[in-house]
Amino acid sequence: MPTIRPTRRLTPAAALASLVLVVGCARKGGCTGDYCGTLVIATAGEPDLLLPAVSDRAVTRDVADQIFLKLADLGLSGNTVGDEDFQPLLAERWEWDTPTTLVFHLDPRARWQDGRAVTAADVAFTYDIYTDSLVSSPFRSSLRQIAAVTTRDSLTVVFRFRQRYPEMFYDAVYHMRILPSHLLREVPRSQWRTAAFGRAPVGDGPYRFVAWRAGESLELAADSTFFLGRPHLRRLIWRFTPDQQVAVTQLIAGDADAVEVLITPDSRDRARADTQLAIYPYKGAAYGYLGFNFAAPGDTTKPHPLFEDRELRRALEMSVDRAALVRNVFGDMAKVPPGPMSQLFWIWDPETRELPHDSARAARTLTRLGWTDSDGDGIRDRDGHPLAFRLLVPTTSAVRRQYARLLQEQFRVMGVDVQLDEVDFSVFNERARAGRFDALVNTWNTDPTPSSGIPQSWTRAGFGRSNYGRYENPAFERLVDRAVTSVAGRDESKRTWRAAIEILNQDAPAVFLFATENVAALHKRVTDVRIRPDSWLALLRTWRIPADRLTDRDRVER
Amino acid sequence: MAAWLVRRLAASIAIIWAVVTLTFVIVHLAHGSPCGQSDGRPVSPEVCAALTRQFGLDQPIWVQYYKYLGGLLHGDLGWSFALQRPVADALAEALPNTFTLALTALIVDFGLGLALGIYQAARERRFADIALGNVALFVNSMPTFWLGLVLLLVFAQRLGWFPVGGPRNPILCPRVDSLACVADFAWHLTLPALTLGLVGAAGTARYQRAAMLEVVRQDFVRTARAKGVRERRVLLVHALRNALLPLITLFGLTFPFLLTGAVLVETVFAWPGMGRLAVTAILQRDYPIVTAAALVASVMVVLGNLLADALYGVADPRIRVRGA
Repeated sequence: MPTIRPTRRLTPAAALASLVLVVGCARKGGCTGDYCGTLVIATAGEPDLLLPAVSDRAVTRDVADQIFLKLADLGLSGNTVGDEDFQPLLAERWEWDTPTTLVFHLDPRARWQDGRAVTAADVAFTYDIYTDSLVSSPFRSSLRQIAAVTTRDSLTVVFRFRQRYPEMFYDAVYHMRILPSHLLREVPRSQWRTAAFGRAPVGDGPYRFVAWRAGESLELAADSTFFLGRPHLRRLIWRFTPDQQVAVTQLIAGDADAVEVLITPDSRDRARADTQLAIYPYKGAAYGYLGFNFAAPGDTTKPHPLFEDRELRRALEMSVDRAALVRNVFGDMAKVPPGPMSQLFWIWDPETRELPHDSARAARTLTRLGWTDSDGDGIRDRDGHPLAFRLLVPTTSAVRRQYARLLQEQFRVMGVDVQLDEVDFSVFNERARAGRFDALVNTWNTDPTPSSGIPQSWTRAGFGRSNYGRYENPAFERLVDRAVTSVAGRDESKRTWRAAIEILNQDAPAVFLFATENVAALHKRVTDVRIRPDSWLALLRTWRIPADRLTDRDRVER
Repeated sequence: MAAWLVRRLAASIAIIWAVVTLTFVIVHLAHGSPCGQSDGRPVSPEVCAALTRQFGLDQPIWVQYYKYLGGLLHGDLGWSFALQRPVADALAEALPNTFTLALTALIVDFGLGLALGIYQAARERRFADIALGNVALFVNSMPTFWLGLVLLLVFAQRLGWFPVGGPRNPILCPRVDSLACVADFAWHLTLPALTLGLVGAAGTARYQRAAMLEVVRQDFVRTARAKGVRERRVLLVHALRNALLPLITLFGLTFPFLLTGAVLVETVFAWPGMGRLAVTAILQRDYPIVTAAALVASVMVVLGNLLADALYGVADPRIRVRGA
């Protein structure tokens, strides 16, 4: 048999090594002092466009808050009631002319980054944009109590409200980032989402837009003339990663300096083990729940065959060991919420009355309702129908899938057959909105106030919106309405909220599973780090990297 | 030749049209909506309705298709709902990244695969052949994303020799405008290209070894040796050229696969290419991007096959196409 004789031995290639050597000779610059820091933030999301009026993505907010200013912003206390805890930004001061008329005086030093002064006309223009139906701002409904915004002179702007309520000031300042009317006035209202400005914005904030490489990174540079003080970090770079795990990997490898949240226990352990990193816990804005559908799947005119029964829902809730689920999935990084609330809410009260975890009582209730295992197959049944339902869960959320499986097992022990409908996120949304589900595992990220999210998701006003399960109870809604509108004071409002939540808890429209505790990780050279829980980069302009801790990344010049 | 080319081009256009049409129909019929929750926050029905109107999604599917085809014929690929920018712009940024990654991976795949295949064939049934064969089988059996994760863990995280992701250092090299930044880009490219190329190289080596062994047993090789031609020339000129035909077929299939199949590698290494763009678009029901990605993929498959046909002729003059 013919064979080939070897002609020459293969020699090992050294190209890779020489390549690495070449790259090792990176340019090093010479920035020194207190204003040299560079912060690289790894994040799993990417802005769609940097026009805060038409995007409510969290990462858009994080970036836009460095470019555009609000009139004033929440304080570290997170108190949304009244105006005492708010910090001035564009407005240097404000006063109430009448109980429903709020007057802001703009800081005369404020400038757009093209040199023009920020004026009251910009504020009025911004309000006009945020409330224009053609623009379709996601924040439009949050401004519905503001009747008008007018200018008194070039630095004075007047907000008039439809009625008096505790969070008037919050509504006036929290949702709107003031926009430059001289640059945006010509953009047709119906085409704001396609405006070129959204990919190269000019703002009035502490940072200027530099570059945006889609799918890759976004860069801002400090505005050394910023009227509220030059930011210490001179450069901010967001690196976009496909998912959170890749972001954490970049952080651990030193390719990034910060991540907003370490979601899994594994990523927290990895970050904690790294001596270069500092960990910053803060309250999370998310809560998750198992929601029951009160209507027949896909037909809102008929009641659900199982979940119209209040006693059955209460039994199912009592059969769930929520504390064990939280420990299993989150470790110590979440709490069992006392109702539909994130830890951000100032109404969080562990004393709120809830249904207890009591499997024996749950089993007795089910038996009393006629649900018994008549055929010995381990599943309770009644009139020939098994006690079974399907649980909708999105495949894109590892946390929710894990919860769904654990819930399935806890219900199985009680003789309840749960089948999982795992679908991709778009399908999950579509089916949830259309009411095509028995039960679902959902998560909401909330505003800092209960006044928007709770009415949206748990009252009749949320039908066809985010009250997917179509829960309603007039007594609950009366109390919510009183809590939202009462001006009797924060304590009284908190008592009213608690009474409302207790009614809801007794109705068991959902099993409230978790409220997250966030953990951010940052390189230790970054100091003066303060994180406001509702917006982790809100105070970024005060963070710094001391001159004696600068690395090559901070010093480098281009 | 001209008639053949015309026939092939006509068939290619028909294939691309069919792929685009099927993709358009399937993605529009799929459950889900581009308007869902945003970062865990509810999107109001009013905003959804406005977006639906703005992007023409409230019109019948045939109207949308007609408009899409009309736009396509004028070079307009549409507007991305999720990225809020022209699809053409998004592709223009993603395609070069994917091309670079795929071409580099192709060089690794066929360069290493050919060399290993020839080397193994030259040492048939000896230790080196058996050992390399087993290693190649092992590597070929690895899922690409798993190999990527291993390389990432070892060479980026543990040893720190390579960056963990992205196509460049955003601080030093926001643009590839200097030799140092070219090197930086190559440095970032190494691990993803190796991941994508190594698995393919293992398969290519097995193909090449088998093809070489088949050829070296033929009479013309024996004749060449009998005439006193040097072994190196016998191997690399006479045998290799005849053993390339199966590889050309493989090449025609591999290149478009590398272009479109780099999804997992692009995800692991945060490489902003077509694969990542397409997957994100599918999850967000960003129809224009999904359809455009399918269009690009089908064009690549067609071009890959055309290139393979052309290369057949170069490798073997007997199958050069004559006119008509």
